[in-house]
Amino acid sequence: MRLGLVIDLDTCVGCHACAVACKEWNTSGTTAPLTDYNPYGAEPSGVWFNRIRHYEIGEYPYNKTVNFPMSCMHCENAECVTVCPTGASYKRSEDGIVLVDQSKCMGCNYCSWACPYGARELDRVSGTMKKCTLCIDRIYDMEIPEEERQPACVLTCPAHARMFGDFDDQESAVSRAVRERGGYQLMPELNYDPSNHYLPPRVHAPIPVDSLRKKATAKLKEWVNRVVER
Amino acid sequence: MATVMEFEDHGRQEIKYSTCYMCACRCGIKVTVEDNRVRFIQGNRDHPINQGVLCAKGSAGIMKQYSPAKLRNPLRRKPGTERGAGEFEEISWTEALDMLTDRLARIRATDPDKLAFFTGRDQMQALTGLWAQQFGTLNWSAHGGFCSVNMATAGLYMLGHAFWEFGDPDWDRTKYFMLWGVAEDHSSNPMKIGLEKLKRRGGKFVGINPARTGYQAIADEWVPIRPGTDGMLALSMVHVLLQNELFDWEFLLRYTNAPFLVVHRPGEKGDGLVWRDSEGHPMVWDLEKEMFVNGMEPGAKAALFGEFRTPDGQNVRTVMSILTERYLDGRYSPENASRITGVPAETIERLALEIAHVAFRETITVDVEWTDWAGRQHDRFVGHPVSMHAMRGISAHSNGMQAARAIHLLQVLLGTIDCPGGFRAKAPYPRPVPPPNRPAQHSSPNTPLKSLPLGFPTAPEDLVIDENGQPKRIDKAYSWEAPIANHGLMHMVITNAVNKDPYGIDTLIFFMANMSWNSTMNTANVQEMLRAREEDGGYKIPFLVVVDAFHSEMVHFADLVLPDTTYLERYDAISLLDRPISEPDAICDSIRHPVLKPDRNVRPWQDVMVELAGRLKFPAFVQENGEPRFSGYKDFITNFERAPGIGFLAGWRGADGKSHLRGEPNPAQWDRYIENQGFFQYHLPESMRYYRFANREYLELAQRVGFNPTADPIVIELYSETLQRFRLAGMGLYDGPQPKDPVDRERLATYFDPLPDYYEPLEQQRIDKKEYPFYAVNQRPMMMYHSWDSQNAWLRQILAQNYLYMNRARGEQMGIQDLGWVWVESHNGRIRVQVKLIEGCQEDTVWTWNAIGKQSGAWGLKPDAAEATRGFLMNHLISELLPPKQGERRLTNSDPITGQAAWYDLMVRITPAGPGEEGVWPTFPTMKPLPGMEPSPDVLRYHTHKPVNLKS
Amino acid sequence: MHPALAVIFLTLFSGGGFGLMALVATVNDLQIDGGLNPLQTLVAVLLSLLLVTIGMLSSTAHLANPRNAWRAFTRWRTSWLAREGVVAVLFYPFAIAYLVWVHFTDAPTAPAGLALASLAGGLGLVTIFCQGMIYATLRTIRQWNTALVPVNFYAMGLASGATFLALIRMALGGKATFLAGLAMALIIAVAVLKGIYYFWIGRPSGPTIHTATGFNRSRVRLLDQGHTFGTFLTQEFGHRLPREQALGMKTVMYVLAVVIPLATLAVAVEDTSALAALVAAVSVISGIGVERWLFFVEAQHVVNLYHGRQRC
Repeated sequence: MRLGLVIDLDTCVGCHACAVACKEWNTSGTTAPLTDYNPYGAEPSGVWFNRIRHYEIGEYPYNKTVNFPMSCMHCENAECVTVCPTGASYKRSEDGIVLVDQSKCMGCNYCSWACPYGARELDRVSGTMKKCTLCIDRIYDMEIPEEERQPACVLTCPAHARMFGDFDDQESAVSRAVRERGGYQLMPELNYDPSNHYLPPRVHAPIPVDSLRKKATAKLKEWVNRVVER
Repeated sequence: MATVMEFEDHGRQEIKYSTCYMCACRCGIKVTVEDNRVRFIQGNRDHPINQGVLCAKGSAGIMKQYSPAKLRNPLRRKPGTERGAGEFEEISWTEALDMLTDRLARIRATDPDKLAFFTGRDQMQALTGLWAQQFGTLNWSAHGGFCSVNMATAGLYMLGHAFWEFGDPDWDRTKYFMLWGVAEDHSSNPMKIGLEKLKRRGGKFVGINPARTGYQAIADEWVPIRPGTDGMLALSMVHVLLQNELFDWEFLLRYTNAPFLVVHRPGEKGDGLVWRDSEGHPMVWDLEKEMFVNGMEPGAKAALFGEFRTPDGQNVRTVMSILTERYLDGRYSPENASRITGVPAETIERLALEIAHVAFRETITVDVEWTDWAGRQHDRFVGHPVSMHAMRGISAHSNGMQAARAIHLLQVLLGTIDCPGGFRAKAPYPRPVPPPNRPAQHSSPNTPLKSLPLGFPTAPEDLVIDENGQPKRIDKAYSWEAPIANHGLMHMVITNAVNKDPYGIDTLIFFMANMSWNSTMNTANVQEMLRAREEDGGYKIPFLVVVDAFHSEMVHFADLVLPDTTYLERYDAISLLDRPISEPDAICDSIRHPVLKPDRNVRPWQDVMVELAGRLKFPAFVQENGEPRFSGYKDFITNFERAPGIGFLAGWRGADGKSHLRGEPNPAQWDRYIENQGFFQYHLPESMRYYRFANREYLELAQRVGFNPTADPIVIELYSETLQRFRLAGMGLYDGPQPKDPVDRERLATYFDPLPDYYEPLEQQRIDKKEYPFYAVNQRPMMMYHSWDSQNAWLRQILAQNYLYMNRARGEQMGIQDLGWVWVESHNGRIRVQVKLIEGCQEDTVWTWNAIGKQSGAWGLKPDAAEATRGFLMNHLISELLPPKQGERRLTNSDPITGQAAWYDLMVRITPAGPGEEGVWPTFPTMKPLPGMEPSPDVLRYHTHKPVNLKS
Repeated sequence: MHPALAVIFLTLFSGGGFGLMALVATVNDLQIDGGLNPLQTLVAVLLSLLLVTIGMLSSTAHLANPRNAWRAFTRWRTSWLAREGVVAVLFYPFAIAYLVWVHFTDAPTAPAGLALASLAGGLGLVTIFCQGMIYATLRTIRQWNTALVPVNFYAMGLASGATFLALIRMALGGKATFLAGLAMALIIAVAVLKGIYYFWIGRPSGPTIHTATGFNRSRVRLLDQGHTFGTFLTQEFGHRLPREQALGMKTVMYVLAVVIPLATLAVAVEDTSALAALVAAVSVISGIGVERWLFFVEAQHVVNLYHGRQRC
């Protein structure tokens, strides 16, 4: 299995629901808590696994705003795992999920240097690196109802811009979406082979309107009443 | 896969279903509770509103629950200290309620209107309104007057349902969706769910908005428009449709007043009113019978166009003829509209033709048999799959009522009202145009009002004015200044009370409303007004009661603070008598119930209101022996009946719990709701799902369950006789009350156009645009919409500072640098703020996120929080009054029809700040912490259990 | 990249220490310039150990959770950081054994001693390589992802080691013409190699905001990064050096690491001045410190593309 996410940039409205649901689940999750620094102070900050950035493509008035959620891509070539000196970072062979064993991490930051996608954030209080677990403590927990065994971000996304599934299964929803919508990986040139894919905004075909134009400008007096029963 | 492992211990957890209250969307939530702490809040998959999803606010509910700003005890301003100095002492509930009861009893026994009770972001207006009615004060409303009353009023006076929460696009079928002036919405999650459905189907989404944020991001086409000109854009599209004869003949003839005949008698009484027979039926010209007939007679074959002369010698024209003549005028041509709106003429024409194409060439049907109002059977519902939604960007202008009407006109011409793929109604809507209840007009001591303080006027006779034509309400709602102010004018209350215009009051109660900060115009001056004293030393507003759950800027000014619970700690009924949560296919309501036990000395305001009602012996709240009738809010909701069988909750009524929508009170009703995950839904049969304004089966149901008084069809009013009556009053041509002040006369004559029209917003008419060339608007970011929670430890990490956003090219032309500091000046004041240059901003517009700026010390934030040191409010620039004019009394800066606060009419000038001029200005002194408040933590490590670590 | 002093000190001092040890072994092995006498050897090896230890201790200060530092040796099969740890630790017994050997035998060039010295020196060189590879294997940082990094580390470790060795020899009364010459040669190599490196990183290449986002056809600009204030990512990776400042720092670096050491070493040889050699040593290590600071600050992690940089 190769589990991962598909992010639909055509429908992501940039509401940050996924980011906060992630924070909420994971602050009591397997790498809990996700520390917040100065939560009520001058410059609040904290540990998040999922962050939404917003870009503007093109220039006014032909600009488009694109909302861009990013979390761990669970790369096939997970350099963050390769470089980890302690063995805290590992990629599960059975499903490809990349995790950090909190009991082994020494907080050297090296894995975060190796990650192109900014998926790893150090918790300064626990001194350990934390990252998206793909909600491994949801997706395999048999006590959670089956339809809810999904990452918290996917479960909550109001615009259904997030899909979770197995990329090794050619018929899974994620594989099909990538195939049909031209899903792509970020920074492919680095050859990390990220599992997560992004679906580009759809291009809407022009609506034909020419035949609707009347040749002559209508004059009220010329309209003939139609008989319609009230 | 069972290679994993150990999981958290669910044995210690409990699942509870309730309703979110982080905004007005009212999603169903599934809350996992562990040791009286929240482990997880997620969307309820079975809930009709959110179907399992939840937004950022909903998930951040945890941080609201554990906010350090929570009030802990009732508080009294320390005797001898100044109001607004922030000196409080804790008192007991008994002391607090005794004090309040004495005061209110005295007011109620003398002059009940001396109590003004205004509520903010609550969703319990059916209760607060009933309470005010029973108290006997006219001075009650919620915050709709500064929210979006224009949307509600425009729809309810035209369609019978409306934007806001009264209707929804048919997300499952619509093929073309046009969104006007909405970045995020009350219907927050449903809209996101719907947009995805639309896009998946290949439908087109057009966003009309000066800023490309929020939903506009995913629009297939963004139409940057100058704020406040949407009405013109809509009417220009109407022009294009008419020009190309693109309108739905059948729809107009069957369901609207388009064929009604209107008397044409310029300058005389009765001009512009519908010509009626002696029984009041509207008359039409029957094309087959070639005679005038009752337009409400089934089978009349009415002429859509035509001018006729009645037997008694009157000239009459059909509404459609008047309308067509109006909008075919060159004033509405795309070229002219382009000059006003900034939208290219070709775009206007193309958009109009696109919606016509989808409406008429991509027509859909739903093959279900249904019966129309006249008993005729039909084998299918025909749908024109174009839908629209509009909200604050249209509403918050002084021309917003007419702009919203213009958009509705566009929808009606295309026949897209409550049809498959169109703009559908949600129960209890549609209601008659307008709904039949009128505002209470008289108050007297110790007596309930005859009706609720708010209602729907249809003529000058319905106004709430005294014999001299002076307003009887403190906010001047239903006066000549704002005749159809159906949600009141909360933004005028403080100003009017302090100016004793029309009179002074004794006690002002605010519930959940931040009227000394982001919810008021003119913030700094309003703070001064709250402190203003009489010559004798007493405060101009003698007693100010604030009910809130958090240490807001408003709490700071209170004389008495009543601490409320959070939404996870109390019972609530989200009632059909109030703001509906229904979906187009189902009649719905829902509840909250406590999922956590409060850890402080707080009480739900609902409970307190019911107790006060008993103490004050409101007739509906006491038994014959004078004892309170209800033990508390929960009991009240179970047993109160507005009419026989009709109570706050519609589900599981009847002694056995088997009657829905109508039935006797059921003592176990709350339990049924809790068992059913906190909501009730009554699925409408397929035959009742469309054309409900003329769908007999539905109309009969609506009558049976008390939504509507009769099962008569609801006629869509393209042409508003109500507005024409007021206009005639302004012109001195009305048999009934007429205003004396020429200012009022002129406003009525000008703006009460029976057909939707565009006029320049009032403030802008008085502002030199060369001096103030930029339109300035504000909006709320998605993760905070309709939620004050800038104290939310998670949400504020996302956004803790706002900027003034400006078009990049325009800014660069003016020598303004990205992240530079600028002065923003309006006729009312100036602020210094930081600029961010972006592409997604119409070039004549600047905007910012509202309510990010906080007063230092408020909301449990540290005094140096970014919200206080870098965030800002645009409110300082906005006046609640129009710029003065010679020979005119000061007028409210509001829509002249509805009194909707015209927040978005603001014009500003932008100049780069001088060297060394950095930081926001103005700044405010730091609020003192309240007694008993613990300091906010420096590090937060929220979790509910020790993590179960996964081993590599 | 955030220029954490702990990490800068690691490669700066341990690089010098390993370079020094490698040179001690080489000089004694090949009897260059007559080899080092026992005292010179003792001091040199001690200094090497001291420098390496400062570097290693300093690096643990960088760890957020040093309790688990011992685990850093476990993943030597894949991680250059683990390899560095393993080899650096292996260095100690041999270097210490050599120290003990010399102390008790006074025979630094005896075969057994030389074997120990060569092993220690060799391990030191391997450690420098590992240190270089820690950076050079990161595809996320274009400025590091080059063979020039380990080469530079070698040049600088050896140059500073050679300067130290020359200083030691002169301070203990020996002649250091060859050693100073070697140091000068290595310093010139540093200057040339660093020049090549700076030229190389000046050329744009690698990922851009277009490949980072997948939007290739139009201008892409950051509208909002989704958090008002800094995060771990901006704090760790967000550093940027304005071009003028970078140029200034590079000048300082060249003056400290190249110009002053060359001049003072020349003076030192000319005047047999140990003081001049000391100045050279302090200057070269300071210069390389500046170089290491620049090495971090100029490294532009690709994650910055997501925070609005057009290229890294």
